[in-house]
Amino acid sequence: MTREISVELRNVDKVYDTAKVVDGVSFSIKKGEVLVLIGPSGCGKTTTLKMINQIIPHTAGNILVNGEDVTKLDPVELRRSIGYVIQYIGLLPHLTIEENINFVLQLTKRPKKEQQERALELIETVGLPADYLKRFPRALSGGQQQRVGVARALAADPAILLMDEPFGAVDPLTREQLQNELMRLQETIKKTIVFVTHDMQEAFKIGDRIGIMKEGKLVAMGSSMELVNSDDEFVRDFIGRGALFDVLDTISVTRVLRKDIPTIREGEHFDKESKMNGWDNILVLDERDAFLGYVSIENIDASGKISGDAVQRVADAFPAELSIKKAIEEMLYGGRTWLPVAGDDRVFKGIVTFDSCAGLLSKEGGS
Amino acid sequence: MESVVNFFQYFWDIRETVTAMAGRHAWMSLFGVLLGTFTAVPMGIFVSRNKRVSGYAIDLAGMLYTIPSLAVLGFFLPFLGLGWMPTIAALVIYSWLPILRNTVTGIVGVDASIKEAARGMGATSFQMLVRVELPLAMPVIMAAIRTVTVLTVGITTMGALVGAGGMGDLIFQGISMMDNNLILAGTIPVATMALLFDQLLGLLERRLKVSAGIT
Repeated sequence: MTREISVELRNVDKVYDTAKVVDGVSFSIKKGEVLVLIGPSGCGKTTTLKMINQIIPHTAGNILVNGEDVTKLDPVELRRSIGYVIQYIGLLPHLTIEENINFVLQLTKRPKKEQQERALELIETVGLPADYLKRFPRALSGGQQQRVGVARALAADPAILLMDEPFGAVDPLTREQLQNELMRLQETIKKTIVFVTHDMQEAFKIGDRIGIMKEGKLVAMGSSMELVNSDDEFVRDFIGRGALFDVLDTISVTRVLRKDIPTIREGEHFDKESKMNGWDNILVLDERDAFLGYVSIENIDASGKISGDAVQRVADAFPAELSIKKAIEEMLYGGRTWLPVAGDDRVFKGIVTFDSCAGLLSKEGGS
Repeated sequence: MESVVNFFQYFWDIRETVTAMAGRHAWMSLFGVLLGTFTAVPMGIFVSRNKRVSGYAIDLAGMLYTIPSLAVLGFFLPFLGLGWMPTIAALVIYSWLPILRNTVTGIVGVDASIKEAARGMGATSFQMLVRVELPLAMPVIMAAIRTVTVLTVGITTMGALVGAGGMGDLIFQGISMMDNNLILAGTIPVATMALLFDQLLGLLERRLKVSAGIT
């Protein structure tokens, strides 16, 4: 699948006096992709982000936004077309939440009515009550303020969002909540997002791809699974030993479902000639295809009839949102070797096993 | 007790003179504050762009501030002659330091993350000044204007020495005649006026919601 390139950096440098804080960084981001930049402090990740909207001008190389060189664009127009969220939020304390959300629309002198409608729409998008619009920022908690920060960045409906450690200043619980909300939001808004963080778990969770920076250089870039399996010593050290499980916590079991196990509806006759695909058990579903239990092939008599008491009833199926990490934990602590998984409508989707989880690692990681 | 009654009797007798003088005193003071504000605020905005320049500007305004008001009046006499002009000039010079300093402090003190967010959203330098820096610096600037107003009402009395009129006339007359009633008749309205102006500005500040959301 090829997608349009939204942001591209070609050999970009940033030099302050004699210090080269960004050194030959190149990458491109597809439309709708979430790219996370991470690295130790002073690695140049924030500088790289801020060069995209030219808050910090680059020294050498080319930065292209939607195919256009940023140095050829009016910086003010460029910034208005890119959403910007920063760690310290930077809400304007003298303006109400509504005026804060509409700041870009005010700068570009959009009609009042459009501004009001947009603010109302956005405050709901970020999950705050509409009566907050008339409040001043100081009346809001840190997490609420950053929700307004996100709403403000979305006001002009930019295709690109730059987020500089946006959840770095809130408590861990709020941070997780905001991350979840951002991901839910991203499913519908599909923005191109460049996200800077120093939190590896956050990177794994949010990023489609993750770029690791060190001393101004981009040392690795790839999906979380690719990075976990990297041979590079710095990358391995940086993301740490426990990283694999952090990554597995961000991947849903739907990626490793086995659907080849034979199933049968309760009360139906089983055709003994049908393929068992090497399985010794058959899963039993109810008339709505919800998971009921399983039955061993030995317990099916010659007629193919499944007696009700032969069905081993186990716990309910797990939701598809279950992460691979949680599935493995469930199997380890529950003494099980497989788990049934169902969708929101309780319709059985497949099963997850230790082997299918291990398969993902060898599939994605094998280099 | 008798002297208090005497004073009020005396004050009542000269009430028309006092009212006229107070009127003149008030407009000179207000004019001085306005002119001072409209010169010092733009200067403050201008010099706040550069840290070193703003340092020099504040030092210079500070030096002017230390010159005795009598000397300032004397200095302007050859250029502006007698009357209200040198008085206003002196008032303007005395207003510069507090207003300039607070304008610079207010603008420079705007939280860097707020400025960065505004710039990142595409505010031009002018929009930044008008929509972010000045509104956020306004409570600090207003504090200076209020201080200057109180100060100015007092300094205006010195204008009487160069023929500007105002309540200073009564006070200086009282001093030369060693007449306490006369001195009080000049001083009490000046003090009242200073407090009144300060309160009015405070009221205006609240009306305009200068500090809404900030402090």
